[in-house]
Amino acid sequence: MIEILEIPEVRARVSKLSVKEYHQLGEFNENGRRTELIRGIVIEKTSKSPLHYSIAMHLQEQLQVRLKGDWKIRFEGPLTFADSEPEPDIAVVPAGNYTHGHPKSAALIVEVAVSSVSLDRANCGLYAEAGVGEYWIVLAKQQMVEVYTGSSEGSFAEKQTYACGETILCASLPGLALPVSSIFEIT
Amino acid sequence: MGSQPLKSAMVEILEIPEVRARVSKLSLEEYHQLGEFNENGRRTELIRGIVIEKMSKSPLHSSISTRLQKAFAALLGANWDVRKDEPLTLVDSEPEPDIAIVPALDYSAAHPSTAPLVVEVAVTSVLLDRANCELYAEAGVEEYWIVIGGKRAVEVYRKPSSGKYSEKQIYQIGETITSIGIPGMALPVASIFAAP
Repeated sequence: MIEILEIPEVRARVSKLSVKEYHQLGEFNENGRRTELIRGIVIEKTSKSPLHYSIAMHLQEQLQVRLKGDWKIRFEGPLTFADSEPEPDIAVVPAGNYTHGHPKSAALIVEVAVSSVSLDRANCGLYAEAGVGEYWIVLAKQQMVEVYTGSSEGSFAEKQTYACGETILCASLPGLALPVSSIFEIT
Repeated sequence: MGSQPLKSAMVEILEIPEVRARVSKLSLEEYHQLGEFNENGRRTELIRGIVIEKMSKSPLHSSISTRLQKAFAALLGANWDVRKDEPLTLVDSEPEPDIAIVPALDYSAAHPSTAPLVVEVAVTSVLLDRANCELYAEAGVEEYWIVIGGKRAVEVYRKPSSGKYSEKQIYQIGETITSIGIPGMALPVASIFAAP
């Protein structure tokens, strides 16, 4: 714990890094940890539990068989936004060449939440601002998916929660239909 | 399945405790790469690996630190430098205290890494200044004063050992602080504050 961040007025004074400054820092921080930039704050990526990784990997495979070659599925790849560079579990972006710049938006972003969903929910604003078509938060323990759609002016207009037995029809990837149960039936 | 309209709420991510636990600290080297001003043109300090913005100073704050600087300069000879708002380079921090008194040496290649006396002026809040006791004690700062502007009093911390000060004394108007960080220096508390 960084004790000074427990003081509210210190939190208000934390200086935010620009994406440019963040890129100067290198891929690993001083402790060898991988990081993301969220709203100008450099935060360390958490280690993934077996459940987290299994769901994310399995979901990636499920999307892979359902999507055509027009799309690229990025697994834990960075997206570069105005004040952030998150590395969501899954990002579906138009197929293209990203060797000189990470994608600036995505048709679909998926985050898997196992221990806590607070930051993933807070990141709705981040993804909506970037014009992400649809944002899914997979709630591993509840076996449910929160689906956020209709991004405009920095927020998603609608949130729908899907449970096993239901099928998510993705609005931003026309033709994509994914039964919720297929996310959690890991063989 | 339920559909609900969403309220747009700006969430400050540092208000989420688990995010605070994941904040990545910057090293001094990384901090020095960032340049003197941050992207918003604000001046910064590095405290425990966290880059924080310096606050604008109130007239009371500025007048107290200016008085202190003049008083120290008058009391001390050429063997000491009275640094105002200048950096000290510590292990994981680079604070810029209101006043740091250091031996008069050449610091053109590196900021001082400790000081016999550091003074912070606290007007609106004293919480960070008190939290920084550890920072200065670890760095072997002999004496740390927190001038409480609103209360016309001075908290004096002494005897750093194992990252803590073992002694804290509060001085009021009418009393005189006899420094042990700068032996022989004595400053009446009244001289720090303008007459009421």
